Amino acid sequence: MNKVNAHAKPPAQDAYPRLIERLPVTLRPALNQQLSQWAMLFPFEQNRVVTFMDGVEALSPAAFQALTGPLFALEAKMDVRHWNFSEQADTIENASLLARSAYYADWRRETEKVFEGINAAARVSAPAQTGSTRLILLFLPASLPVDHETVWQQWDPRGQEIKISGDAGGICELALKGKPGLSGIATLLAGHGAAESSDLWLIDAAEKMNAALSSLPSPPAASSLSHTALKPFRDRFLAELNKAPKSIQITDEVVANLRRESWDGWNLWPAELVGQPRMRQFVIDLFLSGNGALIFSNSFVEWAACEALRRARPRVMVARFGMRSKPKPFTSIAVFENQQRISSLPDVDDPENSAVDALILARYVWLSASRYPEQDRTICLCVSEFSNTAYLIAPADKSPGWSTERSLTPEDVYKWLAAQIAA
Amino acid sequence: MDASRRNLLKAAAVLLVEQWATSRRRAFAGKLDTAGNDERKIIVVSCAGIRRAETFHKTGLSNIPHLYRELLPRSVFYPFIRNAGATSHYNAISSILTGNWERLDDWGASSPLSPTLFEYLRKNMSLSQDNAWLISSNKALSSRIGASSMRDFGPRYGANVIFPKQLLINAVIRAASQGHPEHSADRAAMQLELEAILKHADNYDGLGWSVFGDEPVLDLPMQSSMQKAIEDLVRTNAPVTGDEFTFLVSSEVMRRFAPTLLVMTFSDVEVAHFGSYSMHLAGIRTMDRLVYELWNLVESLPAYRGRTTLFVLPEFGRDFDGSSTNGFFNHRAIDDSTALTWMMCIGEAAKSPDVIERQVQHIDICPTIAGLFGIRELDLPGKPLPGL
Repeated sequence: MNKVNAHAKPPAQDAYPRLIERLPVTLRPALNQQLSQWAMLFPFEQNRVVTFMDGVEALSPAAFQALTGPLFALEAKMDVRHWNFSEQADTIENASLLARSAYYADWRRETEKVFEGINAAARVSAPAQTGSTRLILLFLPASLPVDHETVWQQWDPRGQEIKISGDAGGICELALKGKPGLSGIATLLAGHGAAESSDLWLIDAAEKMNAALSSLPSPPAASSLSHTALKPFRDRFLAELNKAPKSIQITDEVVANLRRESWDGWNLWPAELVGQPRMRQFVIDLFLSGNGALIFSNSFVEWAACEALRRARPRVMVARFGMRSKPKPFTSIAVFENQQRISSLPDVDDPENSAVDALILARYVWLSASRYPEQDRTICLCVSEFSNTAYLIAPADKSPGWSTERSLTPEDVYKWLAAQIAA
Repeated sequence: MDASRRNLLKAAAVLLVEQWATSRRRAFAGKLDTAGNDERKIIVVSCAGIRRAETFHKTGLSNIPHLYRELLPRSVFYPFIRNAGATSHYNAISSILTGNWERLDDWGASSPLSPTLFEYLRKNMSLSQDNAWLISSNKALSSRIGASSMRDFGPRYGANVIFPKQLLINAVIRAASQGHPEHSADRAAMQLELEAILKHADNYDGLGWSVFGDEPVLDLPMQSSMQKAIEDLVRTNAPVTGDEFTFLVSSEVMRRFAPTLLVMTFSDVEVAHFGSYSMHLAGIRTMDRLVYELWNLVESLPAYRGRTTLFVLPEFGRDFDGSSTNGFFNHRAIDDSTALTWMMCIGEAAKSPDVIERQVQHIDICPTIAGLFGIRELDLPGKPLPGL
């Protein structure tokens, strides 16, 4: 297999368009889009494309025909040839045309079969960095009042609740900054061969994690995003996006233009994204994919974490949720607008409802991670700093064997996590 | 909701409908009739994307106290109704209205491809347009949903279609773009201002309003002055929901026109697309309360009492927790969490409360309602609902 390592161009860039042309039409947009943005892909994504292309090439003509024939036939029944279907990029119209087809469910099934068959042909079923333990650290800050009795009720029954003695906020502090004799996560990763910034993600509703990292003597290799720090960019981006009229075709044009826009000239990016074009493109793609990332900080944290897990498969994901404001009179009906722009009333925190949002969204981050093959060596710890409790989900062979009755200090918990990453 | 704010919205709703009716009388002088006003009434409430998990499931009953405790015991309840079509708003509502699985542009760029209930009823029963209304909170719809593109049917048999929430949204956005001060609300002056505004109205299209007919009913001054009035409403101090306003406008239409067929679509729950679960749940609770108030209104109005059947159903569910489509945010997964919901029927045609366990489909609603009006020879794929 042709392994790549964050190269600016695909290893066989001349051959790939020819290979894509052999595929059913509905598979082409995503691949073409990835090729056109190759330098903006994370190493995991680049490897996945290369693996897929290796698989296409490896199939004999007969095997290729047997595998893709049903999807070609289905596309003919769907009359895709007569659709206004972009082959160059995934568009809203593409998604809409597929989703309203009477054959949508069949199409999904056949597409999955083709991907599975081609990946199998490449004889690669696992991504790079197999074998290393992965960690998902989720923080619900002390400002979010959760119900002590029910806070972990909806979580994966394979996990266990942990009582924290002292201030549970200490776990986040230790993970970010470490202490003498105990390295923070970034230092730990760097010491164990993870030099690629997409191996560690720090996603924050506020700016706590950025501030902690910037206080370190040398900045670690990390992909760091803060909803608060992105505010100038978000406001501008939202204003542009809201100019899109109610038309799928025109909205696709607006989206394409926003993707092409030279945002660097606006001087709106936060300091941590300066010199990081791939991360800036990640943010643009994130905001264009909806899911509230432009609007609510907790949606941003969840969706950014899920997208990072899907696209970069990091060793460590740290996500910290936060507070949203109460909906304002009348302007809440236009929630997609910049509330500070359309109402001069001051923002008022909404702790109870922010907690409701953050709790389900934190769980969604874990559910997202658990869809991938790495989940069987992934440890997830979600900490409620308000209730001084946490929920730990660990693979059976990594269970710490903590008694549910025993209270642990933040240092106990972090030491164990650090040992797993270092192992 | 704060009573003074609700009164303000209510006043706005009354005035809007008053203005509409006055303009209609001007535009169609001598053409109005009231045929159907003494007949059977149907109200269909579709409430956007709501999962069973947050409603008629042990995990969701606390969100729907009125539906569960007050209305369920009096209803014919269908715990399993399937949307087997496209789970987008425009297609889902079009499919309910036409009895066919419509697969149209999601944002309403084209009319349904088969006749709607509005057209079947108006054509077969010679009903005036005032007997068919669709009042919607949902900005994914367009006025094209009121009638099909079928040659023998179409807009001349279509419904009045109104989008009250869009009116509020546009006003809020305009207020911001004009940089108007929004402090010191003068609520006392509000109603007078609204009345003054509504005297000069014509074209609602730009505001998301749309009323069928060859000529615009409201003029440009109406548009700008309505926006101004709602800029002032922005100054109040608590959330106002689009569904509340849709309900108030619908209530006024019921009082004034007592239409034979009224379709209301709520959409507060669609805030889920932005990822606020708490606001999504608040939308469900609002829907629950408004449906209960709607039924109380039905029972209090002589034109409706004893002759009305109310259908309440989500258009679809939402995606399951852990789906690749981000769970409750969206409604496009191929899964029962998205496609399988519930429906409640209460009133005149639902004489014997019952729970119909057999799975039914959205496309069964159109032939059922048509059948209640004696229209039975329709060539539709759906079957009349059992229990009614």
